Amino acid sequence: MTDPAPPAAGPPARDHQRTDHQSSEPPGTQQVGRSEAESADPATPGQGWLTVFLSTATTVFLAELGDKTQLAALLLSAESGRPLVVFLGASLALICSSLVGVLLGRWLSRLVPARQLERGAGLLMLALGLWLGRQAVLQLAPAAYPPA
Amino acid sequence: MLALLISTFFTVFLAELGDKTQLAIVSISGTTTRPGAVFAGSAFALVLASMVGAAAGGSLSSVVPTNALQLVASLGFLILGLRLILRSGDPGDSAADEQAGEP
Repeated sequence: MTDPAPPAAGPPARDHQRTDHQSSEPPGTQQVGRSEAESADPATPGQGWLTVFLSTATTVFLAELGDKTQLAALLLSAESGRPLVVFLGASLALICSSLVGVLLGRWLSRLVPARQLERGAGLLMLALGLWLGRQAVLQLAPAAYPPA
Repeated sequence: MLALLISTFFTVFLAELGDKTQLAIVSISGTTTRPGAVFAGSAFALVLASMVGAAAGGSLSSVVPTNALQLVASLGFLILGLRLILRSGDPGDSAADEQAGEP
């Protein structure tokens, strides 16, 4: 990384400087939040805010959607009463659980050397991917041979 | 009403703890420099997914091919995992030398 370690209060000023350097570009083409020049390369850690947001959202959304039948059943079971309250409670819980996940990740990144954490997280993601894929295939396979 | 809110909250919260989604969130946030984006993205996706689930009711699997979507999600997990492992093996371009210095 050639980038000097930025002080906590730095990013807006740096962003401004970089836009000055690239003044030949029309200003509208630059994405908000892309302060690092390295963010152009998707493999580098300094990804743009929007890139991280979208990739996280897509992965989590796809992975969760199959699980949401359970929640739907919960909502239906409360339909006679107050489904909105149930939805509100469930949403709050989901937001809190993702906050817990993010905080846990930050905490781990301070304890574990980053390279080691990357390897561990990568193995975990591979294992989850294999498990999720196996489940999906197992559930898809019977559909190919419907019972008579 | 408050009792219903609280009981729903804890039911769903406890069900989600240690779930694959949360493990993925821990992995992503531990290895990125943008935890705010990870939180916003995951919270948005979770609420959206439960809205879709609620709208479709019990017949979600007849509305969207959930199994096929999960297959796509598993590919996404595999790609993210491979990328992290490749990055951790690359001596020059480590994500993380930067993060390791953090207090």
